[in-house]
Amino acid sequence: MTNHAGRESWQQDRTAIAGIGATDFSKASGRSTLTLATQASLAALKDAGIDPRDVDGIVRCDMDTVRPVALADSLGVRNLTYWGDTGPGGSGPAAMVGQAVAAIQAGMATTVVVFRSINGRSGERYGKGYADDGRAGGGSTFEEFFLPYGMQTPGQYFAAVAQRHAIEHGTPPEALGRIAMACRRHANNNPAAQMHSRTMSMEDYLGSRMLSTPLRLFDFCLETDGACAIVVTTAERARDLAQPPVLIRSVAQSSGRDAQPGLMFPALLRPTTTSWSSKPLAETLFARAGLTAADVDVAQIYDCFTITTLVQIEDYGFCEPGGAGDFIQDGTLEVGGSLPINTSGGHLSEGYIHGMNHVLEGVRQVRGTSTNQVPGAQVSLVTSAPPPGGSALLLVAA
Amino acid sequence: MSAPTQARVLPVTDDPDSGPFFEAAARHELVIRFCGRCERALHLPKAFCPDCHEDAGEWRRVQGTGRVHTWTTVEHQVHPGHPTPYTVVVVQLDEHPEVRLLGSLPGRAEVRPDQAMEVWFEEVGDGVVLPQWRPTTVATTPDTATPEEDGA
Repeated sequence: MTNHAGRESWQQDRTAIAGIGATDFSKASGRSTLTLATQASLAALKDAGIDPRDVDGIVRCDMDTVRPVALADSLGVRNLTYWGDTGPGGSGPAAMVGQAVAAIQAGMATTVVVFRSINGRSGERYGKGYADDGRAGGGSTFEEFFLPYGMQTPGQYFAAVAQRHAIEHGTPPEALGRIAMACRRHANNNPAAQMHSRTMSMEDYLGSRMLSTPLRLFDFCLETDGACAIVVTTAERARDLAQPPVLIRSVAQSSGRDAQPGLMFPALLRPTTTSWSSKPLAETLFARAGLTAADVDVAQIYDCFTITTLVQIEDYGFCEPGGAGDFIQDGTLEVGGSLPINTSGGHLSEGYIHGMNHVLEGVRQVRGTSTNQVPGAQVSLVTSAPPPGGSALLLVAA
Repeated sequence: MSAPTQARVLPVTDDPDSGPFFEAAARHELVIRFCGRCERALHLPKAFCPDCHEDAGEWRRVQGTGRVHTWTTVEHQVHPGHPTPYTVVVVQLDEHPEVRLLGSLPGRAEVRPDQAMEVWFEEVGDGVVLPQWRPTTVATTPDTATPEEDGA
């Protein structure tokens, strides 16, 4: 039995994303994460037409090095009355927006900045994994069952998922390649994307260096320095601000059951390796929205790795379970195809701001301002992927 | 395969939840925690059963045979104590298919889906022993003893 918590009481379209802002994306920002967060937040507030001093809520990712009160100080906020964080990491951005929605609906804040700031290339590189020089695991991490066996990085975890998907469903590498190529082609039209000027063919994809079988270099996202921020407020107030409001039709989080403890590797011990909590999450998200997967015009699907996106395409119901290998053909995932994804280039080719750049691009699609605009886009999906849990947003025009 | 330039990663072996797994491994025994009331496997090991909500877990010795669930051959060097290439396998126990454990094989090991695997016990230094997995080398029947390294 699936629990659609809040399905009846969920209130559609009461809150809106009123502003978006980003820094440049680079390999070496030369700036602190606080400076990056401030820069992105000021850009989002300017976009919305809101005085930074009027911000009264801030939500961050639990892995961010910038704390809400520090950003409030930096923005000259008069008095922050709400702050929070969630995650872990990339499973969090849509849930971070959800916290802002909850705070606004509960009357704890009116104007909430949601941000992610990361020196992911010049600072701490997540791709280096979790093993250091000391003993591994313990303390409820359960990494003692993984790191000593050489399962040490996110890429290795997702490689084992991809291998299992190939075992169960015969998924060919070309399906993963078409995800990478869709992101790259969209990045080629987005001047802000780090891979703006570099094209990718299937030959390029298949010829890229194998890092952890069956995943190649081009299955991996781009460790990035940068920050992204948005401003959430009531739909009513958003109507009087600088931009056309982008309404939050629904937001959802889900753990699924038997999720296993820990951050990432224990998910290999769940009953299913190739379907995640994004599946029950999608049921809740669509039920709250009164929409189905068929209503989605454009999707920003979390892509730390190509396989992450492939599994979610199935979990969100865009094709049958196990059917992504057949569903993803040339052009399927590009503008003009049946499911345009990651229209800014995604983590694979724009930059890895840990899911927040996907929220910004989801907003642009509803506004009609993407560099890869889907004509007439009305329903815009943004996902933040498992493991361990996941979250997602459905955005619509006012 | 290049030589390691520093020690490999060793597990914490005295964690309150997982310590008994490694204590048993040091005796060359493979143990899994089960709920003493409903018999559910509590792996990864946890005190309370998620179904009974009882702290009635027991560590029990299990047969050291399983099947390959998935794997990855790591080609990109990350940790200097784990020189590439090596192959990480995820093994599902025959006796308790809901339980999976990891193992590692040297090099680009030839691995097949559902390949039969057997446990062995690897001394990895500092008195630590890891339950490890390798392709089954001895024909076994359900009645034979667990094919452990030294017959322990």
